[in-house]
Amino acid sequence: MENVIELKNVTKKFKGFSVNNINLQVKRGFVTGFIGANGAGKSTTIKTMMNLLKPDAGEVKLFGLDYKTHEKEIKERIGFVYDGNIFFEGLNLKDIKRIVAPAYKHWDDTLFDQYVEQFELPLNKAIKTFSKGMQMKASLAIALSHHAELIIMDEPTAGLDPIFRRELLDLLQELMVDGNRTIFFSTHITTDLDRIADYIAFIQKGKLVFNQSIHDVAENYALVKGELNLLDRDTEKAFVHIHRASTGFEALTDNIKAVKNIFGDTVIIERASLEDIMYYFKGGIHHA
Amino acid sequence: MLNLIKRDVILQKRQLLFYIPFIVFFILMGAPPVLIFLVASIFIPFNTYAYDEKVETNILLNSLPYTRTEIIASRYLGAIAYMILSIGVTSVALLAFNKHFTMADIAIGSGLFLLFAALTFPLFQIFKQGYITTVILISFILLTWISRPIALYINEHLTAIIDFVDNTSVTVLYIGATFFIMLIYIISWGITHSIYQRKAF
Repeated sequence: MENVIELKNVTKKFKGFSVNNINLQVKRGFVTGFIGANGAGKSTTIKTMMNLLKPDAGEVKLFGLDYKTHEKEIKERIGFVYDGNIFFEGLNLKDIKRIVAPAYKHWDDTLFDQYVEQFELPLNKAIKTFSKGMQMKASLAIALSHHAELIIMDEPTAGLDPIFRRELLDLLQELMVDGNRTIFFSTHITTDLDRIADYIAFIQKGKLVFNQSIHDVAENYALVKGELNLLDRDTEKAFVHIHRASTGFEALTDNIKAVKNIFGDTVIIERASLEDIMYYFKGGIHHA
Repeated sequence: MLNLIKRDVILQKRQLLFYIPFIVFFILMGAPPVLIFLVASIFIPFNTYAYDEKVETNILLNSLPYTRTEIIASRYLGAIAYMILSIGVTSVALLAFNKHFTMADIAIGSGLFLLFAALTFPLFQIFKQGYITTVILISFILLTWISRPIALYINEHLTAIIDFVDNTSVTVLYIGATFFIMLIYIISWGITHSIYQRKAF
């Protein structure tokens, strides 16, 4: 399978925060959701993909190309959406298009007009008068109008109302009908991902915990509930993190088979949601 | 790259409405032509910088298919392009108001502009957002304040020099100054370029 994005041992250090040894491959033709708590390193990772940040060490390749020698070719093929508004606030959408469009060889005015109509965007009003949802739609219209093969989005659903969030997800799904297209987006609203993601990449404290198909995530992780007396130093090893209460324990495992072997029918095994996984990993890794 | 230079006009459509009145104001105030040429040249490039000191603008430009080299080159080449345009507009305005000016005014005005640009452009990359506009504004007001007596002084003495020295040495003087300013401008470009390459947005 071909990788559209390839990060190899990417490390970037800031004061008091760092992203360490990230190895991440994003496959062509799929939607990859990038999850992690606030401050886990999602935006930093996305910025290295966009060459807004240069990693201290490691290699970043998009479409198999290097930013050093193919910067323009790479960016020509990317559509980007960021969390905040990055367009000149005082300008209207028509003028922003006038600035952005000439940058792309494959800009398609008809397509842009089509999105403007679909999203009901005003062309002659200043961007700063737009609501958060409208700003997002405007960014999206611009990101989608040059036939990008790869769409990179940093928290596109943050701050959107539930109705528009669904509309956005439906739209992304429509875009994926073109099998060549790849979407990579970060979010901390994990329910978005159940609907459209094929792969989940999970980052925690600057480290990539996993990058698996959503199917594998469901197969590999589970919530386990049982009595406290079942836990001892050996049995605890089967869990990523354990949450104890007077009524019993609840824990996340990444080894369902081992749990079944150890505990048999004495525990309840439930499907772990992405939110459960994020929550338990946040508790720290108590792994053998 | 031409798109990046043209961007300034789209960005400043509204400010440009004030451009001509702004020049006319200086003419009516009786400012020396050198100063008017200088001020008119500064208008567009420095307005652009006021926009571009914002992090968001850099994220946008750097996410579009432009290289960092091109973004900085467009600033330095754009400044020259808009300077030439400003000289044209200012000359027409001066003629319209029947104000006398010489080639020396244009040469000194544009020379001062390029020098000012060369000295301040790298500062935009060094100073934190929010501070730089103030820094430039103050330095510009200071410059405007002291430039008038200096310009008058230079003007008087240049005519004196022209009276005393023959044509070839004036040419030599101009060529020398041109090379000096070009050198400073190119060094400034190099510095800004290397700072910008390493920036994180």
